[in-house]
Amino acid sequence: MFRKILIANRGEIAVRIIRACREMGIATVAVYSEADKEALHTQLADEAVCIGPAAAADSYLNMEQILSACIAAKVDAIHPGFGFLSENSRFVEMCQKCHISFIGPTAEMMEKMGNKAEARKTMMKAGVPVVPGTKEPVYDALTAKKLADEIGYPIMIKASSGGGGKGMRVSESPEDFEENFNVAQLESVRGFADNAMYLEKYVQEPRHIEFQILADKYGNVIQLGERDCSIQRNHQKVIEESPSVALTPELRKKMGEAAIKAAKAVNYESAGTIEFLLDKDKNFYFMEMNTRIQVEHPVTEMVSGVDLMKEMISIAEGNPLSVKQENIHLTGHAMECRINAEDPEKNFRPCPGIINEIHLPGGYGVRVDTAVYNGYEIPPYYDSMIAKVIVHGRDRRETIDKMRSALGELIIDGVTTNVDFQYDILNNKDFQDGNVTTDFIPKHFS
Amino acid sequence: MAKLKHMFKKTAALFGDREKNMDEKDGNRKDNRKREEPSVPEGLWLKCPKCGEMVYKDDVKNHHYVCPKCEGYFRIKTKTRIRMVADKGTFREWFEEVEGTNPLDYPEYEEKIEILQEKTGLKEAVTIGECSVNGVHTVLGVCDARFLMGSMGYVVGEKITRAFEKAIDEKLPVVLFCSSGGARMQEGIISLMQMAKTSAAIKKHSDEGLFYLPVLTDPTTGGVTASFAMLGDIILAEPGALIGFAGPRVIAQTIGQKLPEGFQRAEFLVEKGIIDGVVERANLKDTIYHLLMVHQENKNYKNYEELKEESRERPENQIFNNDEVIESEETENQNEESNLEQVLTAWDRVEISRSSERPTSMEYIQQIFDEFMELHGDRAFRDDGAVVGGIGMLNEQPVTVIGQQKGKNVKENIYRNFGMASPEGYRKALRLMKQAEKFGRPIINFVDTPGAACGIEAEERGQGEAIARNLMEMSGLKVPVLSIFIGEGGSGGALGLAVANEVWMMENATYSILSPEGFASILWKDGKRAKEASGIMKITANDLKQMEIVEWVIPEKQPADKENLPDIAEKIREKLNCFLKEQSDKSEEELVSERYKRFRRF
Repeated sequence: MFRKILIANRGEIAVRIIRACREMGIATVAVYSEADKEALHTQLADEAVCIGPAAAADSYLNMEQILSACIAAKVDAIHPGFGFLSENSRFVEMCQKCHISFIGPTAEMMEKMGNKAEARKTMMKAGVPVVPGTKEPVYDALTAKKLADEIGYPIMIKASSGGGGKGMRVSESPEDFEENFNVAQLESVRGFADNAMYLEKYVQEPRHIEFQILADKYGNVIQLGERDCSIQRNHQKVIEESPSVALTPELRKKMGEAAIKAAKAVNYESAGTIEFLLDKDKNFYFMEMNTRIQVEHPVTEMVSGVDLMKEMISIAEGNPLSVKQENIHLTGHAMECRINAEDPEKNFRPCPGIINEIHLPGGYGVRVDTAVYNGYEIPPYYDSMIAKVIVHGRDRRETIDKMRSALGELIIDGVTTNVDFQYDILNNKDFQDGNVTTDFIPKHFS
Repeated sequence: MAKLKHMFKKTAALFGDREKNMDEKDGNRKDNRKREEPSVPEGLWLKCPKCGEMVYKDDVKNHHYVCPKCEGYFRIKTKTRIRMVADKGTFREWFEEVEGTNPLDYPEYEEKIEILQEKTGLKEAVTIGECSVNGVHTVLGVCDARFLMGSMGYVVGEKITRAFEKAIDEKLPVVLFCSSGGARMQEGIISLMQMAKTSAAIKKHSDEGLFYLPVLTDPTTGGVTASFAMLGDIILAEPGALIGFAGPRVIAQTIGQKLPEGFQRAEFLVEKGIIDGVVERANLKDTIYHLLMVHQENKNYKNYEELKEESRERPENQIFNNDEVIESEETENQNEESNLEQVLTAWDRVEISRSSERPTSMEYIQQIFDEFMELHGDRAFRDDGAVVGGIGMLNEQPVTVIGQQKGKNVKENIYRNFGMASPEGYRKALRLMKQAEKFGRPIINFVDTPGAACGIEAEERGQGEAIARNLMEMSGLKVPVLSIFIGEGGSGGALGLAVANEVWMMENATYSILSPEGFASILWKDGKRAKEASGIMKITANDLKQMEIVEWVIPEKQPADKENLPDIAEKIREKLNCFLKEQSDKSEEELVSERYKRFRRF
């Protein structure tokens, strides 16, 4: 039983956690940087402790300061939110040593999933599909060709020390493999003085599909369906939705089972997300696991009816899951748009500043998670996301309409936002038809 | 702005009713152990002595006891140091039995020692023993500043002396981590005598041709600096370590001045030419291993063939395994030479040799040798940027490599003094050559200088003497010496690195008594006639080959630059292989006498 929780985060996620705690009757302690004295999370929590100057490294990433605050306020647990210290296994260790519960997985689970090569190995062992590729570097075209034939075409040839597309080639067929390999290797030798190459199956027209899972200390693992996060800009998600139009009930079941297998492979505990790539032929491959709550978790909450935040806290308290897999019934369709203080006209440059006036949309099936209010000054030091608009409708058609309507009600005066850019996506024919892949934004908007 | 302040209802106000329920629930659960209050276990955090920040102890440990925030070095215990350097489980302590005395009957001295022994778990301020470092057997000593500031009394002096004596008996190198405030005042004059005693033992050890590597850690001062700490064949220090004879506070008080930033720190000593370099803890073990390995007895030039055999077994070195191929290529090279001769005039070559595109010594060194570790300083005045030197590896054979170094831009050229060596540069070169001689390492010099440094300071420190000393000492070196002219070979400044068994020259390098400008100015009173002078001075490689000043002209199809350097380096490597093979058959006396005769005939 937690009586008091410290929230080691800021912004809307800190507010989201505080709200969950309040509902559970748990007192809250906010931590804030000198730049966040007026922030909503600072004001909403029962107590607030200043932990340092504006720069994140000195405040929200400052483990010593945060733990000192925990001790001074005598809290039982820390909720890390996402970003900052949420996936720092050393911080988890420290919490443990200071007798403070960390609301999330253990350091060991985090490390197992945090190391990409290690995670890949674990998944292969557990029978979760990963993108086929070479484990060891290859140095000559002949050996590489043999391996490529085994893996199948098209295939990606990647330089071990490559970056920025240099030393990277896609070979479509066995005929052009050797030439592409040699070109890529030459680029690598010239650019990085390294002739070590890797091969990886080229995933065609991929979608980003992730599965939300919950796991308790007693080995119970459930999945709460998928989220389609293919709408991304520079690896930053822009719109997320559930369910994905790309999944049939059979595929959903198969991927959900794979997600559970993945979580069980590391004896996972807490809320987590298994990310997959889904190719045009509906093959799916494990990408990575996020060992924390995610920005887009409300999408799943809307369709599943499960409060992920409260469930996460309850798991950390040592309770078994409150729901069983057979009780999970996903209803309708949910979608989230991330509202950022940024200027799409100027290469999405962040636009901090004072919000003179704000009006948030509301109504049936509309949810806004935000930490801004009238007169709030967005500090320039942190992430530019200021709100998430989440809507829930009967089906995808209704959901898109509801989102368009809701965004039409959203008024933010004082700073430039990406709302119009969100409209452009929502109004796009391909988006409306569900024809999306991870390169949707670069394809339509550059 | 603070509109929201105190506006929200607190959780307790909203759900106060629930509080009671929770209490009851907790009370009902008998098995529910009382939750431990959050607290920081002792020693979880440390305060960094340099930046004052709190740091997580495990982070410090995993970062080689270096502050992860400011990169400041923590002082470490003997046990930790041994673990850092010695292979696991190989350290065996020696001379534990040496007992201390109290020559001055200093009050409470014995008691103090006893307390310290208990507190530190050490018998005295130094621990001596043997161990292996990546498999190489060595004597290892560690001073511990926790024990009366690591000061040297009878026990410390005795153990260090015995360490060197035993190292002589067992033909072992010595690695010694110094950290000490100096002599131990409580033992008076006996403590002073330890300085002489330890130094004498090191002399004996050195005369046996054995290797001694002191690593100076924070702090190394006083009588220890004036004895065993400064007597290494190579002296390394940890970053930021305070090293000096008189302590900074004493100096500041005596001279009544504020001391400059970084004064007496390890980096300062490198700059002033006193120590060879700074080694970070992350690289400590590998560096020590590398140095121990290159100083092993079997690394003598006479064993080149065997060493090369070893290197062949290493897959990445398979390029050089056919000597015959090299012979045939050589004849090809001869043809290339004659082709080019007609095209370029002597003046063209002068200009090429001075070009900023021309590769510098360091560029050749990095291309030719498998590894290169730079060593600094003349141990007296300053580390001269115009001369670089160190130990390189060629087919498993350690070689001492020295080069005159030009800069690539104005800023670097100011530091390098345009490749014009100062007296301390020649003295650094001589120090490294003497070191090579002691350990039987071949010496390879790269010559590239407009001339020796010209100026008031150079004269004050004896530029002429420094060059003269090199000419004399180099003539007697008991190891093979090779000098390669890669650019300008300006007069005595070049000769100061060129009293060699063989001299090679890049086709577009020059070597002369004086620059063409100077020649024209002295003989014709007109420096502008340099071009004309260059035509008659016989300064090109092919001229000098005919005059038997050089043995081999390294062909340049195109003037050497960054692009073709790998090919040129490849040729030099092949030829070096032949050179080392040839010289390995010769005795020390033969080498000296051949070198004598080589210059005697002019």
